[in-house]
Amino acid sequence: MSYLLNNINLSSPRWAVFSRSLAAIFGGYALATSSSLFIGQLLLNNVGKYQAIHIGLLFSFLVYACAAMWVFSVSNATKAWICLIKANVFFVVGAWLLMQFTRVSS
Amino acid sequence: MKDNFRQSMKWFHTWVGLIVGWILFFMFLTGTLGYFYQEITRWMEPERPFIEHNISNEQLINIAQTYLKKNAQDVDEWDIDLPTARNQNLRVGWRHPPEAGKKRGRYESSVVDIATGEKVESRATGGGRLLYRMHYRLHYLSTKISYWIVGFCSMLMLLAVITGVVIHKKIFTDFFTFRAKKGLPGWLDIHNVLSVIALPFHFMITYSGLLFFLFTYMALSTNLQTNEDEYREMRKEIYPRTPHAQSTNQPAKMIDISVLYQQAKNSWQADELSTIEVFAANDSNAQVRFVRHETDITYNPNDEVLVNAITGEMITHTPREYTAAGIIHNGFFSLHEGQFAGPIARWIYFFTGLIGTAMIASGLILWTTKRKPQQMKKPNGPDFGYRLVEQLNIGTIVGLPIAIAMYFYANRLLPIDMADRVNWEANVMFISWALLLVYPAFRPANKAWHEQLQLAALVYIALPLVNILTTDKHLINSLLQQDWGLAAFDLTLLGVGCCFAFSAYKYKALTVDKKTSRQRVKQDKSVGNEKLLQLQRVSKGNG
Amino acid sequence: MLILICLCFPAMVLLCLAMNKHREQVLTQTVPKLMIRFFRPLAWLLLMFTAYLSIELFGWSIGPALLFGALTIAVLLLTLLLTYRAKIVPQLAIVLPFMASLSVVPINF
Repeated sequence: MSYLLNNINLSSPRWAVFSRSLAAIFGGYALATSSSLFIGQLLLNNVGKYQAIHIGLLFSFLVYACAAMWVFSVSNATKAWICLIKANVFFVVGAWLLMQFTRVSS
Repeated sequence: MKDNFRQSMKWFHTWVGLIVGWILFFMFLTGTLGYFYQEITRWMEPERPFIEHNISNEQLINIAQTYLKKNAQDVDEWDIDLPTARNQNLRVGWRHPPEAGKKRGRYESSVVDIATGEKVESRATGGGRLLYRMHYRLHYLSTKISYWIVGFCSMLMLLAVITGVVIHKKIFTDFFTFRAKKGLPGWLDIHNVLSVIALPFHFMITYSGLLFFLFTYMALSTNLQTNEDEYREMRKEIYPRTPHAQSTNQPAKMIDISVLYQQAKNSWQADELSTIEVFAANDSNAQVRFVRHETDITYNPNDEVLVNAITGEMITHTPREYTAAGIIHNGFFSLHEGQFAGPIARWIYFFTGLIGTAMIASGLILWTTKRKPQQMKKPNGPDFGYRLVEQLNIGTIVGLPIAIAMYFYANRLLPIDMADRVNWEANVMFISWALLLVYPAFRPANKAWHEQLQLAALVYIALPLVNILTTDKHLINSLLQQDWGLAAFDLTLLGVGCCFAFSAYKYKALTVDKKTSRQRVKQDKSVGNEKLLQLQRVSKGNG
Repeated sequence: MLILICLCFPAMVLLCLAMNKHREQVLTQTVPKLMIRFFRPLAWLLLMFTAYLSIELFGWSIGPALLFGALTIAVLLLTLLLTYRAKIVPQLAIVLPFMASLSVVPINF
């Protein structure tokens, strides 16, 4: 996906902006969701399940905002996409591992 | 690298602000009016009697209870809203038992005339509630779609606020700087000042606005982590409610509420009562809850006094429990709505909301001012995009206030027994806004600004006059009766009208001045309030 | 509530007097350098006192919210005065706290 978008934006700066906007809107949303998952799982044992999820959700908008700003500040769109995907994968895998860990320990 | 970052953020700020600027302007203005929604509703229901001075709470409670006994006998959930500084009439409400297959029963309420003890028959109107609901429930769209649009706009607003702080180079050294200059530097100063002085408000209002629909926007995350029962439990933990008594179907005689009120009075040491709720009325389980004006942003258990209505004893209720995150969440809600605010704090909320509105307006005007010299040089005239922005600016920044005035006109002038009257009030508002959005397309920008400013002045100044002609609850009477809430509404209309008239005059003066000579028109100094500032800005930047 | 605005205003005036470019706007006579140094700490002290007062009067939750509201109004007023009537700023900064002290008992906020 990122490869494709990058190919298009090579021809015109408009495509680069379009690609970045997509990255900010959807990639940012994905990051907000995955980070809230991660925070929710991370704090699970400290503050109780519901509050942990809640805290994750409260932070999600700030994560979204930072991600969107960051997408428009990096040097090119491809980099933005790749880093967003990396961060997303990190959070999802992290959340998944934490889920396994809590299941084993409980 | 750092400068590069700032550059990209500057670009980002410009375009993020432009894309949703007009919707945000609409949201901010209608939301700001929402701080006075009760007062607006009161004005829009002129059949209600004037405020009654010198009447004790006990007397009011007795009138309300008599009315409820007569009109809501088979109902066991009552509430009574006492006259306050905001809503100056006695209001009673009751909830019918749920019909088959429904969770909650129908809710009915009426304003009671203190003199006669009868219901006041008001005209059908959306009132202030409909107006302020527009700021998140964009009138014509379906609930779900409007929540997502509002969420998208709020998210971009949050981004605009954060990037705005990033690109503002000298936030502290320029803290008080406002140079009343024409053109770009003046507009930039205005935009900066309006943003910086109310920065905590801007951030709070945007972030809390997003929190209102947290579980709609982030549904994916909660769905992944909870099942349906857990989700319901989680919501209960975040928004705890005090459970109330259920009826046992054993009739019993209640003590008069005004007698029970003594209990609440004793524990508050003052006459602070604002609402009374009765549960399981005329039942052996009957309870009365006295609620006073909020004294805490989240929750103060002492604001409620629960009394057993049969024995007259106070019931010690277990206070609601909030988690830390829940306190933050509900605290943001409360800050957003400002229900705790008294008269002065409410006016400050109102002005700060207007500052936010003006900030958006100045940002939009800044966009065109910056591009004006370049666009004017083009051989075929300005680009389509530039003209569109200019047109939307005129149609929204001046057009929307006029449209809101038309909403009030519709309330006074539409036939009282008209079918679907509530909807037509709103239709009139949106039709006039649409006309004002189209109108600038057929006029040169300068003329359009001036004409719409004049129109705005005219409609706002004429509104209290129309009020005099159509009702007996007009400015003169309300001043004579010392009904300040009602009088303040008419006075505010006049004030807003004068601001528009002043800015129209100033606009004309500056345009003529520019044409004939470089002679300086001295800036008028009598800048008293925020609205005036906003309007002056309109005149300055386009002069 | 009014008392908060009346106290925030002189605090903001002091902060603004500590800046060179604004001091020239407001004051015609020159001020000894030593005095200028005291403006900023004094402003913060006054601000801290106002914050304390708002919490004392309205509690931990409503107090800070009202303080920010009062600050917004005070800065708005000061900024407008600096542009259009810079000369009356010092007088107002002295008069306002006096008026505030007359109404120490907050009737409602």
